[in-house]
Amino acid sequence: MGIKKIVFLLTLILIISAFPGTAYAMHISEGILPLKWAALWSFVALPFVLYGLYRFKKISSVDISFKPLVGLMAAVVFIISCMPVPVPTAGTCSHPCGTGLAAILLGPSISAVVSAVALLIQALFLSHGGLTTWGANIVSMGVMGSFAGFFTFKALRVMKIKLAVAGFLAGIIADWATYFSTSVELASGIKGDSPFLPLFWKILISFIPTQLPLGILEGAITAGMVVLLSKKRPDLLVKMRVLKPEDVTV
Amino acid sequence: MHSLTEYSNKNYWICRVDSRVKLVVTFVLLVMILTYKGFTFPLLMFFLCLMLCFRIKIPLNTFVLRFSEPAFIAFVLLVLKLFFSGHDVLFHINLYSVSVTGYRDGLMTGLAMVGRIIGAVSVVVTLGFTTQFAEIMAALSWFRIPKSFVEISMFALRYIFVLIDDATVIYSAQKNRLGYSSIKRGLKSFGTLAGSLTLKAFEHSQNLTTAMVQRGYDGYIPLPETLPLKHTDIIVSILFLILMGAAWRI
Repeated sequence: MGIKKIVFLLTLILIISAFPGTAYAMHISEGILPLKWAALWSFVALPFVLYGLYRFKKISSVDISFKPLVGLMAAVVFIISCMPVPVPTAGTCSHPCGTGLAAILLGPSISAVVSAVALLIQALFLSHGGLTTWGANIVSMGVMGSFAGFFTFKALRVMKIKLAVAGFLAGIIADWATYFSTSVELASGIKGDSPFLPLFWKILISFIPTQLPLGILEGAITAGMVVLLSKKRPDLLVKMRVLKPEDVTV
Repeated sequence: MHSLTEYSNKNYWICRVDSRVKLVVTFVLLVMILTYKGFTFPLLMFFLCLMLCFRIKIPLNTFVLRFSEPAFIAFVLLVLKLFFSGHDVLFHINLYSVSVTGYRDGLMTGLAMVGRIIGAVSVVVTLGFTTQFAEIMAALSWFRIPKSFVEISMFALRYIFVLIDDATVIYSAQKNRLGYSSIKRGLKSFGTLAGSLTLKAFEHSQNLTTAMVQRGYDGYIPLPETLPLKHTDIIVSILFLILMGAAWRI
């Protein structure tokens, strides 16, 4: 890519970012992906959602309160991912995902199910995401976001990093993993006869003005959530295996 | 967000059509739109859905609001395709030292993509406006979608509004106490808000479980009973799809 094209691309990003509308850059909109790509991502998402449902069924057969809890977490993810957050650098609004948060509390596979539910409701009643892009959005937000956030948090906790820092970084990684995989899905879906990589980089760069600060916001949300829970209801974090009983100071 | 399903009014025939039939018709139309090469068929779908929505008295601003996000994304994709994809030069502009080239084939591909987005969104928006969520869930259950998934969705939708009210109260309290007066304070407040929402979700889930167990809850929520399919619904839908199939082939 020549220097002139890069300058033009950056100018274009600034112009697009200056639009005062709502960007909601995270979900892939209805109809963007061609049928074969929509089907492929749905097949990729399916085993994760089915495994999540299997885990959910297993846990809820022992603990009857687990079903309402997961339903309510789906509602929390729905609300958080619908919150329009002003992004001053971009001049638009976007939204965090909340999947890092759900993955830390419920585990990544059940978090994938929670995301699938939130995405379905958003697609049907808010035109946020879509039915044909449901699979792709589950893969990016529910699978990539959840697993990246969960394993980051676990790895940092194993290294004895503080709860707030681990939550913050898990939130950031979950958000950026989501936006990275969204770029892969978008580039592969819309490239047509063009080569994949140049388009992928263009999409990735055009996401930066919104998703870079949003990742930090997502980190703050996740950190705020785990810190508040550890102060007010540490028993819940122990129950959800986020904290070990010996970590809780009485 | 407060009016997710309030538009489904049984006084209108389209809202009375069986939700299973509507789901099948939606699915077939989405496949047609995604496999269509140009943009006339998706635009036809858009105008049909627009007329249908006006017929059932959906306010124009609500309809436009649902399209704001997909339309913005469609515009960005059109710009990306016009300037960065294709070989057949349509126009060439020199802006100071930067030269900008628009490609004819890129424009056509972009327009096809815009058509696909607008058409597919119209179909899903119409489904959302004419069908209640519980009906969609009952239909999905009839199509053998795992019951656990349907149950989580029902819990989520029930508690979205309760949690939105909670979030609004907390947000107002934070705002009144200058919780969003600087970026640092805003991030912290937003984190606390998410944490408080999660805490509320835990509390609601525990209270809900207690209340439901007292009323005979054994781990399964009964769904609305699915009535036998009406022959008129099936015949009208098949005729409509044949008509649309003919339009798709032209």
